[in-house]
Amino acid sequence: MKKVRLFFKALMNVRVTLRVAFFLAFRQIRRSSKWTTGLIIFIMMLTFLNLVVVSGLLVGLISGSYVQFRDHYAGDVLITPAPGRTYIEDSQDIVSYVKGLPEVETVSSRTSILAQVKGTLDENPKAKEKPNVSGGAIIGINPDEEEKLSEFSKFVLEGQNLKNGEEGFILIGANLIKEYSTFGDVDIPGLELLKNIKVGDRVRVSIETEAGPAEKDVIVKGIMKSKVDQISQRYFMVDKELRRMLPANRLELQEIAIKSKPDMGRLVADDVMAHFNNPRVRVQTYQEAIPSFLRDIETTFGILGNFLSSFGLILACITVFIVVFINAVNRRKYIGILKGIGVEPRVITLAYVCQAVFYGVAGATIGLVITFGLLKPFFERNPINFPFSDGILVATLDGSLLRVGILLFVTILAGFIPAYMIVRKNTLDSILGR
Amino acid sequence: MIKAQHIVKTFINGDVVTPVLKGIDLDIRSGEFVAIIGPSGAGKSTLMYQLSLLDHPTKGSIVIDGRETAEMNIAERTAFRLHELGYVFQDYAILPELTAVENVMTPILMKGTPKKEARKISLQVLDQVGLSDRVDFLPNRLSGGQQQRVSIARAIAHEPKILFADEPTANLDTVTSREILSLFMDLHVKGQTIVMVTHEKEFAEMAERIIELKDGRIISDKKTT
Repeated sequence: MKKVRLFFKALMNVRVTLRVAFFLAFRQIRRSSKWTTGLIIFIMMLTFLNLVVVSGLLVGLISGSYVQFRDHYAGDVLITPAPGRTYIEDSQDIVSYVKGLPEVETVSSRTSILAQVKGTLDENPKAKEKPNVSGGAIIGINPDEEEKLSEFSKFVLEGQNLKNGEEGFILIGANLIKEYSTFGDVDIPGLELLKNIKVGDRVRVSIETEAGPAEKDVIVKGIMKSKVDQISQRYFMVDKELRRMLPANRLELQEIAIKSKPDMGRLVADDVMAHFNNPRVRVQTYQEAIPSFLRDIETTFGILGNFLSSFGLILACITVFIVVFINAVNRRKYIGILKGIGVEPRVITLAYVCQAVFYGVAGATIGLVITFGLLKPFFERNPINFPFSDGILVATLDGSLLRVGILLFVTILAGFIPAYMIVRKNTLDSILGR
Repeated sequence: MIKAQHIVKTFINGDVVTPVLKGIDLDIRSGEFVAIIGPSGAGKSTLMYQLSLLDHPTKGSIVIDGRETAEMNIAERTAFRLHELGYVFQDYAILPELTAVENVMTPILMKGTPKKEARKISLQVLDQVGLSDRVDFLPNRLSGGQQQRVSIARAIAHEPKILFADEPTANLDTVTSREILSLFMDLHVKGQTIVMVTHEKEFAEMAERIIELKDGRIISDKKTT
């Protein structure tokens, strides 16, 4: 019985502590200087933005390239030959199966082979002059399928896209032509780029097959430029025409890109793997297919972003500490009086913590509104033009709420310590200002 | 009600030792209105701080309402001050961001009284001290006398057993000081125990008992006529 009574007494004490602390804190906030309150909230908002936006933009530079990799090359699932293999086994069966899956929106099947492209056909290079030749992968595409999957035509810098049914044309990635390449102004040993190639020029495609060499002269129909290397650093021809240059039995594909319904990529990949159960075929979601160096950069940028954000966090912590400390020092006499008339020290401390929490919550709330209502949509519409990606702002609600939590924790600490330091001083000394 | 025995208070600052109270014995009964007077430095405020549990005596015993205060820990002293004692300070000491009624409500809320009821009690007490038309005013919009009335209202709203007042009229003009003193007289008539420190003999004589201090010792303790 005594224990029950003590429990209810303790519960009552907590209720009273909270109620009086809120009572004091609310009035202190309401009647404090609007400018000071506004300034503190502004600093807290900047801190929150610093926490979310700095790392969000740094990670977003890489995430932008992930998005482009998915939207303009790999789709949600990419099927390629297993390492050491030159083609996807059972390619046509896989394509037929995948096209029948309800989760799949569109499929683009690609043939890929290494080729040499000769840019100058009418004269042999003079002595000491390098031939105008460049090597690289030439990709056979179905232009209609490719358009649906990767909006391929968006990347035609000059000229026109390929069309189904027409032959004798090639598209060349900008990074393979000296005048368009981002590496065009440097002389990298081993990097051979085509020179003086324009739309309408004739070039010669040479490929080596097991049946011997094959050559074909084609007209440059367009030049492709994209931040996705798989577009800017490859040649493209209509698949049927390219396949005719290969031995008759070469119908297997090198890439099958699949666009699924939203968030169904994993499901489709698992389905294909389970259905074909073929270790000689590599089925990957686009996240898995992304080059590992990009993932490493993302991790590094994430760490760097968090490191930079932590400075902001420390700054906010110090700001709240100073504000609460100065406030508490200036009000030391009143703190003494409150203690003198019987208000418990923990109530007074909690009142200061409540004020600090108010600043933190207000700042974080405004920061959340700015992040999700303004900055995120802005960067989606106007991505940062980064050399290898269109940088976006990566800010998830989960991650942002975690940062709100971190900010509040730091704020509570920064509010509690100075308040505790002042409140624990001798009551009479506080009242008399000694 | 208050039994103080051999109260000694010494302040030590480095090598400097300043004895302020040098063995005070006194007994204050319930319902008494006691004025403590004396010249500056006599130790009257220091004595009040010891009696009102705002400070600890260096030596001696203070028993209030049968409880030995030396045995109380900080939390118990705080609770005791909340439930049993009321304070009126020289410079009013009301909280600047709280209105008159909110200042009065604070100790009542701290006792666990619901907010509505605390406000109702506070309004009644403010009416009692003549401030019913200023209840929602912030202190900066109240005169010195009005602020002191708020302070008195806050001190008595939770019905303390003893009301301590430290130079309550020091910052007020004569007319206002008399008004404040008459409030104390009204409370005394209703049975409130009051211990008031003052350096003005005229106001001290309104109390029923005057204790005079000099150099940390009681030099006279007499009833007024």
